[in-house]
Amino acid sequence: MSGGGGKLARYSLWQFRDFVMDRGIAIVIIGMLWGYVLIEPMRRTMGAAFAVGPLSPTWPLVITVTSSVVSLAVLIALNGIVSTDRKMGYYRFLFSKPVSAVAYYAQLFFVYMVGVLVCMLLLSTVMHMVVPTFKIVNYLLYAAIIYVAMGGIGFFISVATRFDWLTLAAVWLGSRVLRDFYGAKPGWRSKAVELLPPVHKLNDVSLSMITNGTAPTSDVLWLLGYGALFFALGLLLLRQGSLAD
Amino acid sequence: MAGVPAPSDDCDTAALVIEFRNVGKTYRSLLGNSVKAVEEFSLQVNEGEILGIAGPNGAGKTTLIAMMLGYLQPTTGTVEINGLPARSYVEHNGVGYLSELIAINPKWRADTALVRYATLAGIPEREIPAHVDAAIEKLGLAEHRDKKVKALSKGNLQRLGLAQALLRDEEILVLDEPTHGLDPVWTQRFRDIVEDLRRPDRTILIASHNLDELQRLADRVAIIDHGRLQRVVSTGYDHSRQSATRFRLILAKGHERIREWFPDAEEAGKDEYDVTVGSIQELNSALADLISKGGLVASVVPERSVLEQQFREAVGESK
Repeated sequence: MSGGGGKLARYSLWQFRDFVMDRGIAIVIIGMLWGYVLIEPMRRTMGAAFAVGPLSPTWPLVITVTSSVVSLAVLIALNGIVSTDRKMGYYRFLFSKPVSAVAYYAQLFFVYMVGVLVCMLLLSTVMHMVVPTFKIVNYLLYAAIIYVAMGGIGFFISVATRFDWLTLAAVWLGSRVLRDFYGAKPGWRSKAVELLPPVHKLNDVSLSMITNGTAPTSDVLWLLGYGALFFALGLLLLRQGSLAD
Repeated sequence: MAGVPAPSDDCDTAALVIEFRNVGKTYRSLLGNSVKAVEEFSLQVNEGEILGIAGPNGAGKTTLIAMMLGYLQPTTGTVEINGLPARSYVEHNGVGYLSELIAINPKWRADTALVRYATLAGIPEREIPAHVDAAIEKLGLAEHRDKKVKALSKGNLQRLGLAQALLRDEEILVLDEPTHGLDPVWTQRFRDIVEDLRRPDRTILIASHNLDELQRLADRVAIIDHGRLQRVVSTGYDHSRQSATRFRLILAKGHERIREWFPDAEEAGKDEYDVTVGSIQELNSALADLISKGGLVASVVPERSVLEQQFREAVGESK
């Protein structure tokens, strides 16, 4: 009796519900607080002169705040996406059912992506009300790219280690620091850091994407490709490895 | 006798369902230390059989089950279910599994947890409420169905774990320490449930510390220790076994002549004796003679169950 086709698709509603309860509400609250604390005082001080458009001197701040909210949201969303079930032992009952762990977690990754985009839609709608030139669609495009880029690596780390939140933050920060340090220096180190996650491309991509809805194709492909590669590696590791420790 | 399954009359003609073939599992730490959890384990489990797995703590029971469900990859050997690699079989067919540690998200409600598992089990959506209600009814969880999992007592959580394993009409059931945390009433109820589950086309594995439980429920019991199969014991009250057996004998009359029939009888209380016999036939013959000469037997109780004795011998040997 393995009927009931689309069981995993039906289960996606439970996965989305879990996202909203466990992560979505937190992302929206943190995003609102982050925006309010950093942007509202400036808006109040500057009044009508605040961020009227991309040429405004405060526009880079808007970009910095909103892009960092995306990174934070992805970090919250991907935290423990696989490792929690393994750490807590929830995998035992889940995967005694006729379900592929690879398909289950691949679906979870995309359900959480939808969840993150819904959260970003809410936050960007509020932002648009405060700063009318802020384009919701551009922001959602940027969020989708970062979800795949950062989330793909996060997914892999969550499959490979129990300390995924910390490891992803360390990888993200470490890549940026190592690139700043060695990227321009001659020798093998500069070539080696090229293999690290392309976090250095985020500043340019975020400014360009959120402002204009476009970004250099090579940068976007590099970000998406890197994330997609690690997502695929995560699925492979899940397929080949053990669910139990 | 390690690694050699005992012959079983019923099982000779039954189809092979689960096969452990020379399975080993070694855990290695990052520092290079290694621990052998399971070694050279070979065993076949047949359709319609209830197989018990007994062993002391740390013997490797749970590791074996994890490999059987495909949660762990064996370091050596293979585990197959119906000719498929274990994980592949479980992914396509599912099994009813009750783990030793019941790990269900504590934020979930008891009944919605069952709905989730039923959805994953592939039960058609319109049939899910009936399956969930039936499982709740069977496990006596009606008054707890609205509670969060974190609010359930140990026994109720154990029953919820069993309920999710019984949601579907599974061909294979794997129950790891199933009565752990259950009160005596529910321990007995569990035994009745397992007896009801016995079916010619269903295979059931029960890992337990409780030898009495395995003696009552299982057809055969695999005794493992130090990750190795020590022996497989048929629990069908094997009267032909030749090893010594001790009984507690209580006499209402004739105790002054007890040593005529049981020369090694040891006093264990007023009119109570521990006697050692070579076989059940020898015991019956001695008792018949005793009774024919005016003795009255009030009670004969095995000092240890067959399984317990085998277990002690097997675990003792492995040490």
